[in-house]
Amino acid sequence: MASIIDIKDECALHVRDFEFTYKGAEAPSLKKVTMPIAKNSITALIGPSGCGKTTLLRSFNRMHDLYPGNIYNGEIEFEGRNILSSKEDLIHLRTKIGMIFQKPTAFPMSIFDNIAYGMRLQGLKNKTELADRVEQALKDAALWKEVSDRLKNDANGLSGGQQQRLCIARAIAVEPEVLLFDEPTSALDPISTQGIEKLVIELKDRVSIIIVTHNMQQAARVSDYTGFMYLGELIELGHTEELFVTPKEKLTQEYITGKFG
Amino acid sequence: MTAVEKRVVVNKIILALSTLSAVIAIAFLFWILGVLVMKGVDALNWNIFIFEGAPPGYEDSGLKHALVGQVILITLATVIGVPLGILAGTYLSEYGKNSKLAHFIRDISDIMMSAPSIVIGAFVYAIVVMPMGHFSAWAGAIALAIIMIPIILRTTDDMLQLVPGTLREAAFALGAPKYKVIMDVVYRGAKAGILTGVLLGIARVGGETAPLLFTSFNDNFFTTDLNAAMPSLTVTMFNYAISPYEDWQQLGWAAAFILSMFILGLNIMGRLILFAGKRK
Repeated sequence: MASIIDIKDECALHVRDFEFTYKGAEAPSLKKVTMPIAKNSITALIGPSGCGKTTLLRSFNRMHDLYPGNIYNGEIEFEGRNILSSKEDLIHLRTKIGMIFQKPTAFPMSIFDNIAYGMRLQGLKNKTELADRVEQALKDAALWKEVSDRLKNDANGLSGGQQQRLCIARAIAVEPEVLLFDEPTSALDPISTQGIEKLVIELKDRVSIIIVTHNMQQAARVSDYTGFMYLGELIELGHTEELFVTPKEKLTQEYITGKFG
Repeated sequence: MTAVEKRVVVNKIILALSTLSAVIAIAFLFWILGVLVMKGVDALNWNIFIFEGAPPGYEDSGLKHALVGQVILITLATVIGVPLGILAGTYLSEYGKNSKLAHFIRDISDIMMSAPSIVIGAFVYAIVVMPMGHFSAWAGAIALAIIMIPIILRTTDDMLQLVPGTLREAAFALGAPKYKVIMDVVYRGAKAGILTGVLLGIARVGGETAPLLFTSFNDNFFTTDLNAAMPSLTVTMFNYAISPYEDWQQLGWAAAFILSMFILGLNIMGRLILFAGKRK
């Protein structure tokens, strides 16, 4: 059976007996997943394509709700409540749990307006405060030096790596508790990837991070905890170094040594 | 002759025939444009823009009434048709998506696009002109708007669907409500395409005559009264062109030239905007 580490520190999220079924599917894509997500640390989700890691990630901010007919069962506890409840205010939830996508998603507007977008949605209108927080977010995302003189330019003129950092700046500008990364570097070159990884590690002092990655080396480099998923089940969750060096499950060992995948 | 040689010859014949057909087809376009430019430029002079219609034989006759009437009719039709077309297209792309209702609306709108425009004129005659008891600019504009709506609706629908879904998801992930996602992100992403649809829609109705014949009718004098018959370039051109008077015929050529340049300009502009948008 699954081997799930018991996290002694405070947890940001608690997944319990979580099942997820896509619209019209006969069997659930996630089966009885139970996993704690440690606060202010990085949890990586690895596993072969179709194992359910992105499905799990997109459940944390209820992204699946954009497409009607999907079914959640079980519990995901966040700030003392079950966010799978039908009463959950999704707009509020998504300001607390931000997301970075596989491909950079710069909005068709200026760099400044991109970063300010989330804050403006929350009703922030004060121009000096907006400018200050945009600058801070860009500095936190290590992008300020490159764009400080062209904040009014179209964000789509930036390189892929810069756009991804822009998306991170946009997400942290609204000060979320949790950040979800869905293969954030799979569309980037090695140097941009390095920059994003460095940034993710720096961010964990302020937010709890969950990162889905196809790249096991990346999981080993950046994460504190790693979860290995297979066919919709969480097979093993452990401290990253332990999971990669002394995995407890045979399946995990076979996957990380490249026997399948 | 071997089989291979035969195929080479047949290939050459087909190539020659299809090239020739293409040249003939294009030649008509340039022929029309050529005649228009020759006759139209000849008939152009400042009086056209200064004077309104006059009985044949008068020196001081022009097209001011028809030019202004045309602008009023097209502006009114745009004001009515563009918001309806864009909002309906937004419904299809963002709300209806693949529902049965959405597909039904798309099919109906495709059929509407090929509906004979004179039938739409007759429809507006029955529901607007008859109850009002007289021709009016409103009736003409409504007829033009009805022709315009399906074009704008379909381009808006297509262009909004080209905006990547991940962009919408990213906006939702920041806690944006749906109407904000559409207004701030989706519309911005499809701006160039929607504008092109609007321009092509205007160009399409700009040259319509049939639906105006019994809605806005015609008037040989300058008017801005939207509740009365209103002259348009197309109907004026028709009346002048079939008249036996040479000075009226000259004005007809001038009207044809101005109208063609206007519509050609709109079409070129629409395509340029789309091209610039795609290159980005």
